[in-house]
Parts: sequence; structure tokens; C-alpha cells
Amino acid sequence: MNIFIFGLVNSVILALIASGFALVYGVSRLANFAHGALYILVGFATWLFLNRLGINYIGSILLSIIIVSAIGAAIYRLLLIRVKGMPASEIIASLAIGIAIMELFRWRGFISEAYMLPPFVKGSVNIAGVFIDWQRLIIIGVGLGMMLFLWLFTHHTKVGLSLRAIAQDKHASIMSGIEPDRTAVISLAMGSALAGIAAVVILPLGNITVETGYMVLTNAIAVCIIGGLGSWAGVFAGAFLLGFTEILTAALIGPQWQMVVVLLFIILTLILKPSGLLGRQKELEERV
Amino acid sequence: MQNKSLVSHIGTRLLLMLIILTFLFFLNPKVSFAQPIVLGVPISRGYPDGVDAERGITLAVEEINAAGGVNVAGTKRPFKLEISDTRDLEPGVPVAEALLAVERLIIEKKANFIVGGPIRSEGALAAMDVLSKHKTVSILSAGVLSPAYHKRVAENYDKYKFCFRTTGSVIPMIEGTLGTFESFKAKKGFDKAYIMVQDVAHARAAGNSLKEGLEKKGWKIIGYEIYPTGTTDFSVGLSKAKEAKVQVLIPWFDMPEVSILMKQWYDMKVPALPIGYIHALQDEGTWKATDGKVAYSVVLYAKAGSVATKAIPMSEAFVSGHKKKYGIEPRSEWTSTSYTVVYILKDAIERAKSLEPEAIIPALEKMDMMGTYGKVKFDPKSHQIIENGDPKETAVSMWAQWVDGKRVIVYPDKIATRALELPPWMK
Repeated sequence: MNIFIFGLVNSVILALIASGFALVYGVSRLANFAHGALYILVGFATWLFLNRLGINYIGSILLSIIIVSAIGAAIYRLLLIRVKGMPASEIIASLAIGIAIMELFRWRGFISEAYMLPPFVKGSVNIAGVFIDWQRLIIIGVGLGMMLFLWLFTHHTKVGLSLRAIAQDKHASIMSGIEPDRTAVISLAMGSALAGIAAVVILPLGNITVETGYMVLTNAIAVCIIGGLGSWAGVFAGAFLLGFTEILTAALIGPQWQMVVVLLFIILTLILKPSGLLGRQKELEERV
Repeated sequence: MQNKSLVSHIGTRLLLMLIILTFLFFLNPKVSFAQPIVLGVPISRGYPDGVDAERGITLAVEEINAAGGVNVAGTKRPFKLEISDTRDLEPGVPVAEALLAVERLIIEKKANFIVGGPIRSEGALAAMDVLSKHKTVSILSAGVLSPAYHKRVAENYDKYKFCFRTTGSVIPMIEGTLGTFESFKAKKGFDKAYIMVQDVAHARAAGNSLKEGLEKKGWKIIGYEIYPTGTTDFSVGLSKAKEAKVQVLIPWFDMPEVSILMKQWYDMKVPALPIGYIHALQDEGTWKATDGKVAYSVVLYAKAGSVATKAIPMSEAFVSGHKKKYGIEPRSEWTSTSYTVVYILKDAIERAKSLEPEAIIPALEKMDMMGTYGKVKFDPKSHQIIENGDPKETAVSMWAQWVDGKRVIVYPDKIATRALELPPWMK
């Protein structure tokens, strides 16, 4: 029961972390390497609004997510649009922005262990003999809610359908009147907002550090490699596979082997199915 | 005519400035024109340990300068700080950067002494040759717990005699820790422990030594787990500890994510008291940030001083001065050691009546002054601080427990301010 509950929490955390990265790549084929930086930006911004400006917790969260969405959109509109179509330049440019944001916080002295966000609900609950805090249960709820929202959004709204259309066939979408740069801006804004939502629900578990940004980016990439870039179902499959593998490794072998097992998974995936479990990027080449 | 008026105008201004400066010199004793003593401080400024050390050094320098400076053979000279970022706490430990920072301080900034870091053992060990080459006396006061440092001084004294260290080494630290656990065993009857350490060299070494040492003393070590740096979930280990009914958790971590361990421990109501080196929990702000979930955890400080105790009067003055200047109590042990290191140097310079290494080294070897963490004395052969005794005779570490939002000293008994408490779910 312990492994099931904490494995589920770990998996949902990974899914939340990776969803924004996957959305941006799925729609605009841009690997947003500033994803981890936007995650901690929301964390620090919420902390500042709450503790320095005295804005209430919900207001601080909403304000931070709105700001990070605007920053995400601006990153595309002002910078990435200029290097679009050059994958190496896109990666370098977004990584540079990410490092600049993260190291700016370090430079401004955001390096104490005391930067933490309060949990939404205090206390813990006993589920079949396993004590678990409410914040982790909230993470499961938010994660599942976000999956449902994204499915409804991409299947039943005009903007969502246009995002899917671009992801499926860019040229046919353009002929149908969908503007690719506009959808890319929307995807960057939404991807950044998803990073923000992940940050505000996950960060109350620990503290906000600059290093968290690098770790979030690494985890998001790991989930997308295993699950398959460009596939929603793949992201969740990858997150659950990695999440439960980590917990099982810690329980059966030892926590120091978690990273080794994860890396083995990535290597095996790249050897056996380079596009990931449910990825469609190179499906045809792989079949051939 | 106009030119003459301009010259006389400038002349009047110069005269006025001279008069003002003369008045300032005689009226304000803080204004000194004596050549300053340059302290080179190579530390990692982007990390809490570096900031802590910088704060301690800055506070001590300001206090000493405000009191007139250092008496060097009858001349009062102020300290001047030159701080350089070594970046040695960054992942990958860029040793070359740390060496450049140390050499730049000596060559470009003309540092008379090096104090503070580098903080990582790798950086500090590599810097020993630079210090030896330039014959510059250094006193480490942050990080660097590797036994290799003082071993190297003892084995090659003539080359490395310029290197001193107040932070201590992991060996006496573990010996002290074993003594602490024996005391807790005697007082509370604990004898079952679960060790959880970070996957970094010093923590693994400490974990192995503690396991071996505690088992020799009759403890049962039920579990021993190593966590990669950055781990954010400790539920599996905590569940195992809970099921095995251990009484003590021994965490040994310097990563900030250890606060998650403490929050999970609190939420899961694990009936085992966390006692260990939990660096992130040393910060005064941790209580508020974790919503009090660090309650009852017992945290090791490699040196005392960051929590005031009447047993060491200088710690009281230091904590109060730090609070006045920075608005918070000192965070880690490195603030305390870095504050004291400036006073150590002042004492040595005043006794040596010189800044020359030939005079300073013997003065440091005969050091016998009270610091924020007890009596400061160096082993004359290895230049390692002498510790683990009576604070009136040697330097001491400190174990502080989080109780009611405050850090209270529970061990060693000679500086303790309160008895060890157990959480309600352990009673």
C-alpha cells in the first residue's frame, strides 16, 4: 500500500513537471529548455508576493502564473521566433534564457533554505495504515484534474483543436487558416502556465532552490524521452513508469540506485524504441 | 584676471577640503590613514555556506575597525576585506576557479592573509600549494572537513606551515557524535537506529564510520540508506524505519531537500527522533518555512557559537551583534567560525607585532584565546584546531534541538541550555 500510494504521488509529480514541456514540443516542435527556470520563477515570485508584498496566497499564485505565462509568450515572440526552424539554435537560445533566469535568482541572493511555500492544507491523513500529508493528496487531485482539463481543452475548444491540428499536420493546418506563430505563442504561454501550476502544488513539499530548476528540466526531458515526445498519453505513461520504478527501486534495492535504474530505462528506450513508448516522431522509420 | 580668480577659487576649495579632513581625522577615531591589513576571502558567494562565512568575517572586521583596528607594533591598522568568488560549491567543484580566486587575491589584491575558504575540500587542498608558493598564511573557517588537510601539514610541515584550519575534521566530528549518541542512550535508553545519508563523499564516510562505531558500542543499526543528491521523496525509508520500530533516525545531509525528509517524518509521525548533520535545518528561518515540522529534530553544528550560550560569553556577543547587523540570528556554524577567525588573526598579529609569516605562524601555534565556540588552540604540528573537550580548554561542536520555534542547545552538557525532548508520538 505504501509503495502504491507514494508511487502514485511520485508519478503524478513527474507528469505535472513534464506536461508543460511536452505541450510546447507537441504543438510547436520547440524544446523549451527554459522550462525548469520558469518553474522556479513561479516559486520565487509566489514567495515574494506572499511574504514581501503581503498578497494573499491564492492571489500570489494567480499573479505568478499570469506573469510566467506572459514571460513564456514573450520568450517565443521576441526570441525563439527568430531562430525557429534551427533546432540547435532553439535549444541554445531557450537554455540561455533559462540559465539567465535561474542564475539571476542566485545572484540576487535567493540561496537560503528558508524559501518555502506553505501547503494548501496542513496535516496528514491515515489511508490504510499509511500516513500521507494532504498536500500530496492535493497533488494527485490536481494532476488528474489537469489531465482531464487538457483532454477537454484540446478536444472541445477552438484554440485546443487548432493546437492539435498544428501538432498533427502543420501544412494542412496553415491551409485551413491556422496561424502557426499564434499557436506557438499560445503553446508557450500554456506550457509556462502548466510549469507554474506544477510549481505551486509541488514546491510546498520542500524548498525553492535554483538547483530545482535544473532538476525539473532533467526530469521533464527524461519523462518525454521514455514516454515519447509529442504524445500526451506517452507523457503520462512515461511518468507512471518512471515514478513507480523509482519507488520500487528505493524499496527493493536502495535509493542510491534510483538514478541508475532511470538511466538504464532511458538507454533501453533509446535502443529499442527511439521515439519513446508512445511517440510518433519516427514511427515510420522505426517500422521500416 | 579670470584665470587668477579661477586659480584662487580652486586653491580655496583645496584648503577647505584639507581643513575638513583634518577635523575628521582628529574628531573621529574610526577614520584611519594607517595602511590597512588586507584580508583575502576566497569563498563561494552564490551558496548559503559562502554567504554565512562572509557575514561572520564582515561583522568581525567592522567591530575591530570600529574599535580602532589592529595594534601592529604600536600602530593601529584597520582590516580591509577583499572578497573573491571561488564558485567551488557549484556542482562539479570547479577547482581551477577556486585556485584562480586565491592567487588573484594574493597577487592582485595584495592580501596579507587568506581567511574563510575555499569551502570544498577539493578546492582547499589544491590551494595549499598556492599558499605555500606565495608564503601567505591562511586560516580556513568554512567547510573543508577532510582529514587530508591537516595530515598534509603534519607530513610536510616546512612546505605547508602557512595553512591553519578552525573548521575541524570529520574524524573528531564523528568521535564527538558517537559520544553524543552514548549520552542519549544513557539518558533515554535509545539503542536502535536507522542511518540515512546523502550520496556524497563526506556523508557516506560519516555514515560508514557511525555504523561501525555505534555497532561497537552495542547499538543495533536497523537500516542504512544512501540517497542521491536532490532526492525529494523519503517515504520508503521512513516507512521501513517506522515498521522496524527504531528510536533514532540519523540523517547526514547537506542538500536543501532534506527539509522534505523532515516534513515527511512529521506527517508520517515516525516514532524515531532525528539526530544528525542536517545542514538545511541550521537556519533560524527553517521553523517558519516548514510550518514547525522540524520540531524536536536535533541538529549538529560542527562548531558551537551560532546559538548563544552563557557558557561561552563570546557567543552571546556574536549572536546579538549578528542579529543587530543582519536582522537574523547566525545560520550555520561557518558564520561563527568565520567571525572568530578574524579575532584569531588580530590576536596573533598583536602578539607577533608583525605581519610577516615567520612571526605570525609561531603566534598562531601558541594561540590560546576564547572564541565563539570555546577555547581556540592549534596543534603545532598539524595546525588543526584542538576540539571535543571542555569549552574552557578546547573548541566544541554543538547539538541544537528545535523546540517551540527556537534552536536550543541540548549537547554537550557543559554548554547545554535545555534537556532533550521527545515528540508527543514517541512518549
